[in-house]
Amino acid sequence: MTAPGTGAPVAAPTTGKARSRRRSMFLVMAAVAGPGLIAGLSDDDPAGITTYSVLGAQYGYRMLWVLGVSTVALILFQDLGARIGVVTGQGLAGLIRQRYGARAGVLSIGALVLANIGTTTAEFAGIAAGGEIFHISRYISVPVAAFLVSALVLRGGFRGVERVLLALSAVFIAYIAAGILARPDWGAAAHGLFVPTMPTTRDAIIITTATLGTTLAPWGLAFIQSYAVDKRLTPRELPFMRIDVVTGAILTGVIGFFVVIACAATLNPRGLQINDAADAAVALEPLAGRLAATLFAGGLIGAALLAASILPLSTAYAVCDIAGRPAALDDAPREAPLFYRTFAFVTLTGVVLVLLPGVSLVPVLVGTQVLNAVLLLPLLVFMSGISRDRRLMGKYAARPAVAAVYLVVVALICVCILALGYFSFT
Amino acid sequence: MRSGSDSAPVPRNRRPRRPNVHLPASRLLAVRREVAGALVSVAGLATSPVRDLDGNEVGRLEDVVVRWDSGYSPVTGLIVRVGQRRTWLHVADVARIDQREVRLTSTRFDLKDVTRREGELQLLGDVIDHQLVDVHGVRVVRASDLYLTQVGDRLRLVGVDVSLVSLMRRIMPGHWGRRPSPRHVLDWSGIQPFGVPGESVKLRRSHDALRRMRPADLADLLEDLGRAERRELLDSLEPDTAADALEEMSAPELNDLLRDAPLSRAAGLIASMEADEAVEALREMPYDERHDVLAAMEAGRRVELGALLAYDEETAGGFMTSELVRLNDECTVQDAIDALDARTRNVEETSGIVVVDADGRLVDDVSVVQLLGVAAETRLKELVGPPWPVTVPPDADLAEIVENMTDNRGSSVLVVDNENRPVGRILADDVVDALVRDRDRRWPWQRRAGGTA
Repeated sequence: MTAPGTGAPVAAPTTGKARSRRRSMFLVMAAVAGPGLIAGLSDDDPAGITTYSVLGAQYGYRMLWVLGVSTVALILFQDLGARIGVVTGQGLAGLIRQRYGARAGVLSIGALVLANIGTTTAEFAGIAAGGEIFHISRYISVPVAAFLVSALVLRGGFRGVERVLLALSAVFIAYIAAGILARPDWGAAAHGLFVPTMPTTRDAIIITTATLGTTLAPWGLAFIQSYAVDKRLTPRELPFMRIDVVTGAILTGVIGFFVVIACAATLNPRGLQINDAADAAVALEPLAGRLAATLFAGGLIGAALLAASILPLSTAYAVCDIAGRPAALDDAPREAPLFYRTFAFVTLTGVVLVLLPGVSLVPVLVGTQVLNAVLLLPLLVFMSGISRDRRLMGKYAARPAVAAVYLVVVALICVCILALGYFSFT
Repeated sequence: MRSGSDSAPVPRNRRPRRPNVHLPASRLLAVRREVAGALVSVAGLATSPVRDLDGNEVGRLEDVVVRWDSGYSPVTGLIVRVGQRRTWLHVADVARIDQREVRLTSTRFDLKDVTRREGELQLLGDVIDHQLVDVHGVRVVRASDLYLTQVGDRLRLVGVDVSLVSLMRRIMPGHWGRRPSPRHVLDWSGIQPFGVPGESVKLRRSHDALRRMRPADLADLLEDLGRAERRELLDSLEPDTAADALEEMSAPELNDLLRDAPLSRAAGLIASMEADEAVEALREMPYDERHDVLAAMEAGRRVELGALLAYDEETAGGFMTSELVRLNDECTVQDAIDALDARTRNVEETSGIVVVDADGRLVDDVSVVQLLGVAAETRLKELVGPPWPVTVPPDADLAEIVENMTDNRGSSVLVVDNENRPVGRILADDVVDALVRDRDRRWPWQRRAGGTA
């Protein structure tokens, strides 16, 4: 810092400038942090944990590389989503409508809403299952959780909810602890992470696609973009935001890694089959000790709460954005009816589906997984198209080399979905 | 603040009520059909065949171009894809546009390249599905469809459909997706569209109604728009109108907007804001940027804002404005009136004349009312007398200011330094702002820490 040449009085004290500058760097980082961390970590929701558990229980350490690839894709597209949000100041839904027309916009966002309702259901199912491990009835845990997250979100919005969510994110450390307690074979884990091997069976294709689809969830992409818009970050803060996004995505991958190795070390050698994350928690108990199982179940509930508080809000933003209706938590329900109706609809449908006796959630959850994976394809194509559009992105438009990397990921997901389709119908 | 006050000329964020039409359903449907029959849906025109006089297809319609000025924009031409080429067709060569096809006046016409001209909008490319400002309803909308109709001898753009029904209609295939479905249609003359960011051609002129809008409403509109649209709207406003709107914005929004603007523009806007609001905006910026913005201002304003910035923001020094009408007690009433006159050109509110002695110490705060009916050559010291002004030191906190203000039933308090020299004034509205801000912090820990919700 040099002293002002004009000699005019300026705001900050002239002493301790270096310190004030370092402090201001820290403050900028603290002010920017949030979207990447929360959007990334909320991808480790019950559906994600279930997928990772199955990946570890069925294939041991062999397919850890799929998680590595998913994490790289997550970094690329979360960063892209946040950058589009900051540069254009608009949500993904509105931009798709503006850039690709009403048909593309309405159909893709319609599918997103459907997938989000399914995912919300999965989150509440996760809360119910996690609660039952601790002997709490789902008729208590689910309504209480729904009420709590709605109150939290409607009162504070993305920003108000941020601190609570960041604190809640700490539960993910539970998975790391559970992974270490399971005493995994580190050498095999490293081998599985860096040397890709792929059994060409239908189940292996399904789990690969599911891992990609749950790590790089469509709603996460829409969410991070609305969050970046809502947080009013300026293009000047893009470098800080990138740190936030990359940190969040890597943490997501690391947590997934520990879930996989916890199951690979304990369940896989004994050939135990599991269907969901709660099964994994129960199965862990005799093998890795009570503490590991409790940590696993606690992490499940925390993860579900985190995702359940984001999903209805993110959906409501997307719907209002595409309809061109006011969507702000500052507005009263009378002023933004569509916003609050969507929010209530998504939350209530999720709660009701979980609590209705005699309804099997398996078709809903499997259907949601497939829909999420398929929906990823158009969304990623739209996002890479928007990233190259100079009219929307100006000088922040993606260079051809970067755009080519996006297309590689899109092609990879395309191959997965085609393979899945092929194996499903033969 | 957010909720519109009752005295506002236009209730904001409230949908205009549907007129209470007492028609039987069948009759209503007939009326709706008749209206729809007179309209041409622009969304439905996309890729329509363009035929010459003999009915041979020459190309497909790609866009409809209008000239944007106040009122209903006339169609100036069409963009037609002929083979691989995008070509421009002047409206004079068009015989008829209906929902099924475009007919031309002859079999021979010139194919010209498409160029963007000043003030022209391409309806499918620039307007449909893009953000628009509805200046009467004071809100940001997205156009689901646009309707053209014949007005006199010209085809003009008359309405913007913002209904969900029309949006859903457009995803239907073929003929069903193309029919006009006027449901919730806004008058085009009350719409502010946006140009193309990055293009040299811009719609510089802003809608007249925007200039008459309440600053708080304008601030809400700016907050709801995307970045490019916000920038364009802000650029089209006069600095004073813009500064008034900025004063109404929440801190993060304002910070985003100012840091996004070019340095000179940001400096100009902050300089046009009231001193206390300007200081608040500057406080939100990182040190380096704040320094750059101050350096880009003219010297007088820079010194004033720099001095205000040195006070703690939660004390009297942080709330006050340093713009005082300060006169020596030897001055006359005429001097005071001249000073007020000069000052009110850029500041709306002046609550009094601060009378000081030869050493600059406070003598009295003479209200404007006291000047009425007094001979012009009267010296100010003759007007001095009780009630004496209420003062607080610059480090007084909010509670102390509120207490002083309520105890004395005044509309403002003066801030004086320890030599009893006036340095600023705190108006009641600044105190209201501070109290509301305190209450608005939604969570208890935010109230303490001074964060912004």
